[in-house]
Order: sequence, then C-alpha cells, then structure tokens
Amino acid sequence: MAGASQFPIPQRPNIGRRATAESPVAKFLLIGITLVFFSLFLLLPLFVVFQEAFSKGLGIFLKTFQDHYTQDAIRLTLLVAAIAVPLNTVFGLAAAWSLTRFRFAGRSFLITLIDLPLWVSPVIGGLIYVLVFGSKGWFGSWLTDHGIRIIFAVPGIVLATVFVTFPFVARGLIPLMQAQGISEEEAALTLGANGWQIFWRVTVPKIKWGLLYGVILCNARAMGEFGAVSVVSGHIRGKTNTMPLHIEILYNEYHFAAAFAVASLLALLALITLFLKTYSEWRAAEQLKQL
Amino acid sequence: MSIRIHHVTKRYSRYPALNDVSVEIETGELIALLGPSGSGKTTLLRVIAGLEFPESQGSVLFQDRDVTQLSAYKRKAGFVFQAYALFAHMNVFENIAFALRILPRKKRPPEAVIRARVQELLAAVQLDGLEKRLPTQLSGGQRQRVAFARALAIEPEVLLLDEPFGALDAKVRKDLRRWLREFHERIRLTTIFVTHDQDEAFEVADRVVIIDKGVIQQSGTPEEVRKNPANEFVRDFLDL
Amino acid sequence: MGLTLGYSVVYLSLIVLVPFSALFVKTASGGWGHFWETVTAPRVVASYWVSFGISFFAALVNGVFGFIAAWVLVRYRFPGRRILDAMVDLPFALPTAVAGIALTAIYAPNDWIGELLKPMGIKVAFTQLGIFVALTFIGLPFVVRTLQPVIQNLSDDVEEAAACLGAGRWQTFRRVIFPALVPSTLTGVTLAYGRAVGEYGSVVFIAGNLPFKTEITPLLIISKLEQYDYSGAAALGFVMLVVSFFVLLASNGLQAWDNKRKGLH
Repeated sequence: MAGASQFPIPQRPNIGRRATAESPVAKFLLIGITLVFFSLFLLLPLFVVFQEAFSKGLGIFLKTFQDHYTQDAIRLTLLVAAIAVPLNTVFGLAAAWSLTRFRFAGRSFLITLIDLPLWVSPVIGGLIYVLVFGSKGWFGSWLTDHGIRIIFAVPGIVLATVFVTFPFVARGLIPLMQAQGISEEEAALTLGANGWQIFWRVTVPKIKWGLLYGVILCNARAMGEFGAVSVVSGHIRGKTNTMPLHIEILYNEYHFAAAFAVASLLALLALITLFLKTYSEWRAAEQLKQL
Repeated sequence: MSIRIHHVTKRYSRYPALNDVSVEIETGELIALLGPSGSGKTTLLRVIAGLEFPESQGSVLFQDRDVTQLSAYKRKAGFVFQAYALFAHMNVFENIAFALRILPRKKRPPEAVIRARVQELLAAVQLDGLEKRLPTQLSGGQRQRVAFARALAIEPEVLLLDEPFGALDAKVRKDLRRWLREFHERIRLTTIFVTHDQDEAFEVADRVVIIDKGVIQQSGTPEEVRKNPANEFVRDFLDL
Repeated sequence: MGLTLGYSVVYLSLIVLVPFSALFVKTASGGWGHFWETVTAPRVVASYWVSFGISFFAALVNGVFGFIAAWVLVRYRFPGRRILDAMVDLPFALPTAVAGIALTAIYAPNDWIGELLKPMGIKVAFTQLGIFVALTFIGLPFVVRTLQPVIQNLSDDVEEAAACLGAGRWQTFRRVIFPALVPSTLTGVTLAYGRAVGEYGSVVFIAGNLPFKTEITPLLIISKLEQYDYSGAAALGFVMLVVSFFVLLASNGLQAWDNKRKGLH
C-alpha cells in the first residue's frame, strides 16, 4: 500500500519509561519546544479566528449571519455535503468490501487510485472537471447547446467536492476490515445468510466506528474544500458560493470581522470533527482489542 | 447423509492445494481429516462446505445430490471455524438464533419457537444460563460449544469442524474430545473434523483419512491404519 | 459480491479516470511547442521555486519539530497531552481558507506576531516567509502521525541492553533509537512535502501573490483557466502531477526500504 494509506490504526495507551528515561532537564526542554511549536502553529491560528470574529463585537458577528449571501453560502455548503458525503460513503463501503474480501488483479492499483486525491493539488481536482465540462472542454459545446451548466454551477461544485473527499470513507474502513478478517462473514454464510443479510447483520455492526470516522473526515473536507471548488465555481454570490469561497470574498473586500465570523463557524466544525474523530478512533481500537 | 467427493482439484497458485481427491463418507460416520499443515485438509473441508469451489472437473455430492456449484448458504452444512468466528457484537442467544432469524419470512418460526429452539441447543451443549453473555465473556471451551450450537441451529445434515480444539489447552481439549464422541453417539450426524493431532484423530474418529500435499495417502479405521500403513509418509507421520 | 467491485470501478472511472485522461489529452493537444513554452515561462519557473522549493524547507522543519513532538507525545506524560495529541490533526480538519486568513491575520504587519517582528525588520505576511509558515502548518500532522506508531512500537529491551552496556541516554538515542526511526521520519517528511506542494487555500491569502516572488503554481493554473488557456493550464497541471507522482514513488520506496530493514516483506 502507498505510504499515505498507512492510516493511523489507533494506538494502545503508552507505558511510562523508567529504567531508560531521559534526564528531567532534557524532558522539560523537549516538552517545552513541543508546546511552543504547537502553540505557535496550531493553537494561535485557532484562537485568532475566534478573536477576530468577535473583534468588532457580538453585534457585527450576528449581523454577518443575517446577510442573505452568507445564508446562501451556508445553504450551498450544506447541500453539497449532503450529496457528496452519502455518495462517497456508499463508494467507500463498496470499495472497502471488494478490496478486503476478494483477491483480484489490479488490487494494489485500485488502492493507489483511491488515495489519488490526497496526493494531487486540490486545484487539479477542479481543473480536470473544467477540462471535461468547461465551455472549451470535451463536452463543453454539447452542454451549452443543451443549456446544461456544470462548471460555474452547483453540479460542478458537487463533482469537485466528491473528487477530493472520496478517499476518506474507504481509508477509514480498509485497515479496520482487514484487521477484522472475514471469518464472521463466512460463518454467517454457512448459516444460510445471503449477501445483504451478511452485510447488514454482521459487517456493519463490526465496522460502525471506522465508518463514523471516515464519514466525519469526509464531511469536514467536503464542507471546507476551497481549492478545487474555487476553480469550478465562478464565485457567483448567492448562487455558486460555498462558505470557504464566501470567506474569501468577504476578506478580499476588507470585511475582516465578517470573514472571520463565517470562518469561526467552520473552525467550530473542525473542533467538533476532531472530537468525534478521536472518539470514534478510540472506540474502533477498543473493538479491535477484543479480537 | 452420505458425502461423495469425486476427483476434486483446487489450485490457489501454481501448486494444487487439492490434487484429484476422491473420498466417500457414509451417513453417520465420524471422520477425521488428518495431515500436517498445508496438506490441504482445511481446503477439502471448505470445498465440502461450499466456501471454496473445485476446478471444473471435480464434484461434491450430498446423498446423490450434486451440490458442487451450490454456495455455502444453500448447502446446510454446519461449519465450526477454527477460531469460532462468533459474532462479537451479539450475545450467546443471538449468535445461536442467527440462523433462524435470517430465514425468509415464510419459513421463519415465531419468536417463541426460536426461543425454545435456542434453549434446546444450549442444553445440548451444556451451556444453559449463559444466553446473555457476550463472546468476550466466555472461556475458550465455552465459545467452542456456542459455535457448535450455532451451527446446529440450521439442522444440518453434515457437521464440519475445522481444527475444533486447536486453540484450547490440554485439559479442555481432552474433555471436549470426549464430549464430541458422546455427542456423536447421541445424534449420529455425519461429521468431518480436521486436525493435525493424530491422537485426537485416532481417539475420536470412526475412520481416519490421511492427507498430504493435496493427495489422500490412506483411509481406514484407526486400527487398520496402524496395522497396515499404506506408505512411507503414513509410517513417518504416525511414528510407526 | 462482484456487484460491489463493479460499482466501485464504475464510480472511480467516472469521477477519476475520465477527467484525468482529459488532462493528459488536453496537455498533448496543445502541441509540444506550446507545452514547453508554457512550462518554462519565467514567471512559471519562478512559481516552481516557490511551490516546490519552499515546500521542501517547510517539510524539513516539520521533520525536525514533528520528530520531537511525536517523541514527546508518545513517551512523556503531562497535563493536556491528550488534547494536544488530538489537536495535531487540526491542519487536517480545518478548512484551508480558514487557516489562510488566520495565518495572514497573525503575521500581517499590524497584528499579533507580525507586530512583534516589525521592529526587527522581519516581514512575514506577503513574503516567502509567510508561505513557509503556511506550508509548515499544513504539513505538521504528517510527520507526527507517521512517527507516533513507530515510536510506540520500539521495544524497550534494545534500549535497556544499550544502557547495560554503558551507553548514556544521548548515545543510546543517537546510535540505537534514531537510526530505527530514520525511514519513518523520511516518509513523514515526504508526505508533508507532497501535501505542501499542492496546497492552495492556506497559502494564497498570506502569499500576496506577487508575480515572480510569491506566486504558487496552483495559482498560475487558475489564472490560465481564467484566461481560457485550457491547454496551458493542463500543461502546468501535468507538471504538478509528475511531481506528485515522484513524491508518491519516493514514499513507497521508503516504505519498502523500511520493511526490508525490519525483515518484513
């Protein structure tokens, strides 16, 4: 598997070292360096988002969300996520199922292909759809003749989002399903269960935490995607602006507090994502431990 | 129910796991498939179960019915896996009831009947009272017997056991061996079990089928095999 | 069961393979001359230095500090460790645009750190230094997350043996522990590099996008698309893909090397 597929299988809690421990001074220094590094690069940006959002007071903060362009942006983001996440979940399940239950030629190619969006720039993720559906693209003239807009319209945004987020569910499931093995499914087969029954009654309960993990990450990326969507969107306020794009517009127009207000919503989502991710990782590890 | 295997070959890579294997098993026999690791004994068991399928020429017959192309879920062969393969997220009751719960609506018995049947099976394996436990709360020997009961729920005509006592310690093994023998005397179900332990095979089985490198080396009662080992391999393997 | 495989393949083909082939075709259709012209234009080459070059330094910094952080998180106990550990994934979970404006706010001349650095004459926002900071942020989780399980699995007995043989802690680290961690560190650095190279959202705000100075290659792709120079955009996309491909190869190679050293196959 490609290096990026080495997904964090959750680790067991760590044993403290005794006999071979570093000197307290060294420990202190190292912990200090880490704290400074993390504060500077992780905590500070997070803090700044919320601070700037409220820098002009609660009034401006709330007013931002009453602006109907902002509301449109929020609605569009939710819509795109509502389409992309279920699609990619079904795909992730199908892919994980076929990859971990069968042996077939081209298996490693498929695995590498699934990781692809994580390796390429998100801008390329948008570029490829413009090349196919844009006005000078492959289907460009056909689409214009039929009055169908994909690029610079919602379908294009959905496509680009689907592209950048499709690995997440699969990657959350594959290591889990591989570690769990297929003997429970085979047992169900000998007991007379057909494919669907095996899937719903045996497989899904086993993988539910890995599935949750994948879906959460998929959703976070779907709502927050900027580069790929920026390429296909056209930035039409009220029509093809997602929240991240709207943040860009507000920022470029010097409405800093407003931009940060919208950003703070996404930052909150990020925090919730982190929390749920950690929790589901932990539960999946617990399940694996019992094997 | 008798089982006939004719000229079954199974290949995974270049070397066949099973090479033109033919065996006849009579109704009610308790057969041991004995051989070293990699001999093909588990593969043969899985072919009988319908978890694997032989290459084109071979056939598997259950009481003169050709089941070669039938997948496992249509064969009604009770299978007990090496590591039990209990459904970890279901308790003992649900594990055993599984086969009944997944029956199509028309054939599915009412809840009370299911409950009674599960209790019957629990009693048969001497695990009454443990319905609510999860597999992780059971000992190895208990899990083994739940796996048995679960397989019996489909009212199979043949019972297939893959190294049933492999993961247990010596005392539990001996007890379970005796238990299997008694069980077989009571129920008289055609039973095939796979093992690499010759004491186990000789103690428990009516007939022993010795297999190596995908080829049957000898088949006969424990006495016959001991008195007349068919070839060098058998002599060596049994330390005669 | 073949149904699931079929579904996956169809889905992937539609979403990935077909559009990607468009990229290659478009690149080729522009003709070799146009391709070469596009990818070697001075402004574009300047962007290569920015995108590929600065990513390199950012990845290195992540290698060093990520290593320390991974060690600290795995081996030491201190209040807030779990929260810090969860936060490592923040660059992964936070939308890039949010990170972009936050970083700009921090390092702009009149705010936060930018203010502190102004008297020293150090400008961060709208310079390459700013891009460096953004790319370090983006790559942070990769080294840490790659190293953590590996450090976790180091067996104590080797370290104890070294101690019994008279090795001091630093010696043990330098001669026994660190060599075992080198492949994973390199893998993490490679992953961080691969991510940084393609990064767009977190960089465009703080970069200032001055041609020849702080323009990243993805930005140039977008501007070419805006000018309807599809084959030019495709050409640059192609270049980026080639780089990503080599990064992928490198990371796989490192993986294989590491496995070989450990005796796995």
